[in-house]
Amino acid sequence: MLVEKFLNHISNWGKCWFGLIFLGSIINEILEKFTILSGSSYIWILAFGSGALIGLVAKIRGVWL
Amino acid sequence: MRESPEIAAEFSFEKEKEIAKSFSQRFQWEMILIGLGQAAIWLSLWPLVLNGSLDLWAGFLIASLCACFAYLPSHEAQHGNYSRGNPKLRWLDGLVGHITLITLKFPYHILRITHMKHHAYTNDPEKDPDYANAHNTSVLKVIKNVLDGSTLQFDTYLEVFQNDKAFVKSFHQAIPIALFYKAAPLVLVVIYPLETLLLWWLPAKIGSVYTTVFFSYYPHLGTSTGRYQNTRFWSHWMPRFFNHSMQLHFIHHLHPGIGHYDEPKAIEALKPFLIARKVPGAEQIPDRVTNNPLITI
Repeated sequence: MLVEKFLNHISNWGKCWFGLIFLGSIINEILEKFTILSGSSYIWILAFGSGALIGLVAKIRGVWL
Repeated sequence: MRESPEIAAEFSFEKEKEIAKSFSQRFQWEMILIGLGQAAIWLSLWPLVLNGSLDLWAGFLIASLCACFAYLPSHEAQHGNYSRGNPKLRWLDGLVGHITLITLKFPYHILRITHMKHHAYTNDPEKDPDYANAHNTSVLKVIKNVLDGSTLQFDTYLEVFQNDKAFVKSFHQAIPIALFYKAAPLVLVVIYPLETLLLWWLPAKIGSVYTTVFFSYYPHLGTSTGRYQNTRFWSHWMPRFFNHSMQLHFIHHLHPGIGHYDEPKAIEALKPFLIARKVPGAEQIPDRVTNNPLITI
């Protein structure tokens, strides 16, 4: 039952989690390494926020591209 | 198999099968080497890149090549072409099938059962899991669908084949591995963001696109249903070794037990049978299958 609930959650919210964690981490690293924003304290909010937003848009649209 | 009265006895299905069987015996060591080898190379990229011995972009190129080589060894395992019906060697099918797919992040069980359904129901819009790829309107749309994952929704087929107990059982067996492949990059990316992107996630996407375009789209493009009509011969500008000889995929659908590297010889031997069956393009098959082009259909 718990596994089923977990799988349903992944299937419904997988894109948002992927956006937040995966894209967020990538954007954060790129901003840190390659932009003038590197060193800024709140850069992670921008990075993970952008990732989560992209994931949310993909969830609403139903597809990534 | 029921014979059409138009087929001469010398080209009977039994004789065709007998010839095909003679190409379905050899132990496919090359494919095992490629499957386990590419996975070992891919795994070794991680320590090499992380300790600075290899540039990340070089690692990305090598990982992408590995991903393009990853599917075919698993495909042979899916057909049991390593064990060849020997129960004592069945572990080898599973071993190669699972390990080679690490690069592509796909669970072996799911690819195996959906591929078996692809063979059983080739070009059936509802039951062929490859239908959406093979019957798309352009190669660019195939690429887009693979990239956004919309043609890899295998859970759709759990409903289609809900009464097939073996299918459902294998599907459920694959769920922990599928979850692992979803979770592992999400954990790794937090620790090694660019390495996870360029050594695993992006190469897996490139490998999936390559596999879908050359294994699903081109061989079945514009084909219909029926044993001798559901796959086609096709030609391509690149030497066939660069697209895993998928111009020869027709013979694989006729006799999946033929080893991949034995397919050219099998096609040469079976050419008269294919002509007798009026397979489109069969008359253009050269007497000796060379690098490229195979035929000019």
